[in-house]
Amino acid sequence: MSMCMDQWISQIEQWFHQQPVEQIYVAVAVLALTVVLFVLFSLLKTSKSNTIVLAGLNGSGKTILFYQLRDGSPHQGTVTSMEPNDGTFVLHSELGKKGKIKPVHLVDVPGHSRLKPKLDEFLPNAAGLIFVVDALDFLPNCRPAAEYLYDILTKSSVVKRRIPVLILCNKTDKVTAHSKEFIRKQLEKEIDKLRTSRNAISTADISDEFMLGVPGEPFTLEQCRNKVTVAEASGLTGEVSQVEQFIREHVKP
Amino acid sequence: MLEQLLIFTRGGLILWSSCRGLGNALKGSPIDALIRSCLLEERSAETSFAHDAYTLKWAFHNELGLVFVAVYQRILHLLYVDDLLAAVRREFAEIYDPKRTSYDDFDETFRQLQKEAEARAEEMKKSKQAGRAPAVPGKKQGAGGAAQRDAKQKGNGAGGGGSGKDDGDGDGDSGKGRWLANGNGNGQEKGARERSHAPPGSVVVKGKENGGPQAGAFDVNKLQKLRSKGGKKSDNTKPASKGGEPKKIVKKNRVWDDSPSESRLDFTDPVDERGEGIVEAVAADQGESMMDKEEDLSSESEAEEEDEEVEGAKPGAKKKGWFTSMFQSIAGNAIIEKSDLQPALKALKDRLMTKNVAEEIAEKLCESVAASLEGKKLGSFTRISSTVQTAMEEALLRILTPKRSIDILREVHAAKEHGKPYVIVFVGVNGVGKSTNLAKVAYWLLQHNISVMLAACDTFRSGAVEQLRTHARRLQIPIFEKGYEKDPAVVAREAIQEASRNKSDVVLVDTAGRMQDNEPLMRALSKLINLNSPDLVLFVGEALVGNDAVDQLSKFNQKLADLSTVPNARLIDGILLTKFDTIDDKVGAALSMVYISGAPVMFVGCGQSYTDLKKLNVKSIVKTLLK
Ligand SMILES: Nc1nc2c(ncn2[C@@H]2O[C@H](COP(=O)(O)OP(=O)(O)OP(=O)(O)O)[C@@H](O)[C@H]2O)c(=O)[nH]1
Ligand SMILES: [Mg+2]
Repeated sequence: MSMCMDQWISQIEQWFHQQPVEQIYVAVAVLALTVVLFVLFSLLKTSKSNTIVLAGLNGSGKTILFYQLRDGSPHQGTVTSMEPNDGTFVLHSELGKKGKIKPVHLVDVPGHSRLKPKLDEFLPNAAGLIFVVDALDFLPNCRPAAEYLYDILTKSSVVKRRIPVLILCNKTDKVTAHSKEFIRKQLEKEIDKLRTSRNAISTADISDEFMLGVPGEPFTLEQCRNKVTVAEASGLTGEVSQVEQFIREHVKP
Repeated sequence: MLEQLLIFTRGGLILWSSCRGLGNALKGSPIDALIRSCLLEERSAETSFAHDAYTLKWAFHNELGLVFVAVYQRILHLLYVDDLLAAVRREFAEIYDPKRTSYDDFDETFRQLQKEAEARAEEMKKSKQAGRAPAVPGKKQGAGGAAQRDAKQKGNGAGGGGSGKDDGDGDGDSGKGRWLANGNGNGQEKGARERSHAPPGSVVVKGKENGGPQAGAFDVNKLQKLRSKGGKKSDNTKPASKGGEPKKIVKKNRVWDDSPSESRLDFTDPVDERGEGIVEAVAADQGESMMDKEEDLSSESEAEEEDEEVEGAKPGAKKKGWFTSMFQSIAGNAIIEKSDLQPALKALKDRLMTKNVAEEIAEKLCESVAASLEGKKLGSFTRISSTVQTAMEEALLRILTPKRSIDILREVHAAKEHGKPYVIVFVGVNGVGKSTNLAKVAYWLLQHNISVMLAACDTFRSGAVEQLRTHARRLQIPIFEKGYEKDPAVVAREAIQEASRNKSDVVLVDTAGRMQDNEPLMRALSKLINLNSPDLVLFVGEALVGNDAVDQLSKFNQKLADLSTVPNARLIDGILLTKFDTIDDKVGAALSMVYISGAPVMFVGCGQSYTDLKKLNVKSIVKTLLK
């Protein structure tokens, strides 16, 4: 085995000696250049992420929204997701446009609480997060929604990279849906309460959680270090212009 | 009649439904219930799922990431459902294209398949009625057919469970349903246990419900005639190599808590009781409860993980397995078959069991992981054993991640706003440390400026009230007691009334330890819980238990459900694991208990002092379990 190896190596050496020196230098230079270019290129690519994450409770309408954005149709409806939906595409509403449009990488993370840890897989390179809230059935889900939002807003991966968050009040096609102002107020109130109880549980837990808001003041979304905005949409009827606006604000076309 | 047959992706998009137009006409969305409380709870190896008036059966196509669900009225015993699901699965896989979202052309195929399946079921019924004697030649024929069919299925990359235990290959008598994800359950267990984890109104049925051993005996010739298309693909998947048994890493004993315990908490000893004067109030001087400290485990386990990876990269000990699987992974993406998974799953099951996971649960988990992997393509440069390991890791993480909020302080504050005391009832078998850990919880709550009252409802064991009184004195908190003669349910009620009067925020109710089989005591507990509807029923269990964990918890839940006089019985909401400091890396009880009850671990008791109360670090438990 090693004998064979040695022979090979000596042969290669010989071959090298036969070649003109300039040629070898040129070859090495070309090789180095391509490596450098490749590294630069991949660095640029990762620094400009195009990932938008859809998160929110079970049944808030993420999957419908995902397909509405991709295909412009809710198809035949959805059932509870067991796995994330993940796709890189040009938004459906932009299909008619001319010129090259940068595709968006959209991820729909299931809302079932057992699947929530999946979120951590996608956050590290997210350019934005859309937190979908069911505006129709809001009150019974208010506290769990606030808890989920609290968890997201205190994650170091969100705070450190200041990932912009859009709180999307979905299902506004129904007249009984709550307004976004109301939902915002309620969420702020709940998060304010959570702040005291959660901070009590994890005083030494600085490692992966951040304090939220200003101590001594009631919590408002403006106090977050990352930008948090509120918008309305209806995934079912295709009223998603505010979502598309958010996406294109953070993933430039 | 079949109510609905639905085909959807694992991502949740409905691709095809047998009754469109009407939309989701089914009451109470049984399919969402199936996904939420069965498929996502690692119970997909079960046979069927009942929700309200419906029974649901399902099949997976793991390679394509599809789920097929059939819904029918529970009162009908449709015999052909498994058969139909398998046929639909096969036919749909042929036309499936990930880019397509509408499959209207499948309507016709489905109608045909349904007719065939019904015809076969009819045939079977007739042959059964015709008596068994003349069935012998027919049966032989059926056996051949079944085997043939089986081969076809394999060629299609069939997924699904099957028991794999007693199904000989090509043995036609084992009948149909083998290719179904939920074909054979191990039908030893009764539905009794399932009651405990299924949501109200839902029951998971185990074992074969339809299709006895005769199921394979339908007339194959007729089947062949009926069917215009045959299976085209041939069986060309090579038996994959056995993923070498993962090497066990010998590790030093884990130390969960290295601070020496300053003071004993066990006041069971009656001698203690007499020395009342000596017992000093220590309410504020034992420092911070460990609930408030972050586990220092994470860094350590990360380092371990690296070790593991280094070891995994060394082919050394398992050269052969490594070589063949390497070859396979280069040669192409092999489709994972049940038989490939067996060795890796067996190793994994054994590993879980050495961590003290109850055998039954390790078994079920492995079945569920197998059901989720079978038929999938093996990625290039991955070994089966690592694929299985990853799937199991995800499953464990899913199970252990709490479904409900475990932020008790938040709930206490919410109750306070409503002007009501928050009531926690501690239940469990004898000698697991209920009172001791109750005191720890009290200490932790006190540290967060919450006023606590104890209720001594263990009116059964002598000395219990005194033991609690000692704790109350040390913590300087009020205790409500009525001696030993009273009915504990009444004592608890009076305690809660008292707490409302004196504005206590939390009432911690100590109950008598009882064996899960003790009917009278369990009835008393059920009464206590129903009468007072506490905010939290906390099961206190020892981290030391192995197989008994399942028995304790499932019986507690079952008895609470059975003996309750109200329709919607309260079950166990959360778990407190005690003696966690004594078990090293044998953390399996945590998994067993959470799996069987569906309730999260809220606290972990890990020592003898008041501060020794922690949160469960789910990630480190998963790591420990798989190490
Ligand atoms: N009226 C109305 N209903 C909607 C809308 N969006 C979604 N829904 C309904 O809400 C239900 C849940 O929608 P999904 O998209 O599956 O919800 P999800 O957020 O993906 O849920 P998980 O996958 O369980 O996390 C479906 O029955 C939809 O029909 C909407 O804009 N308006
Ligand atoms: Mg979804």
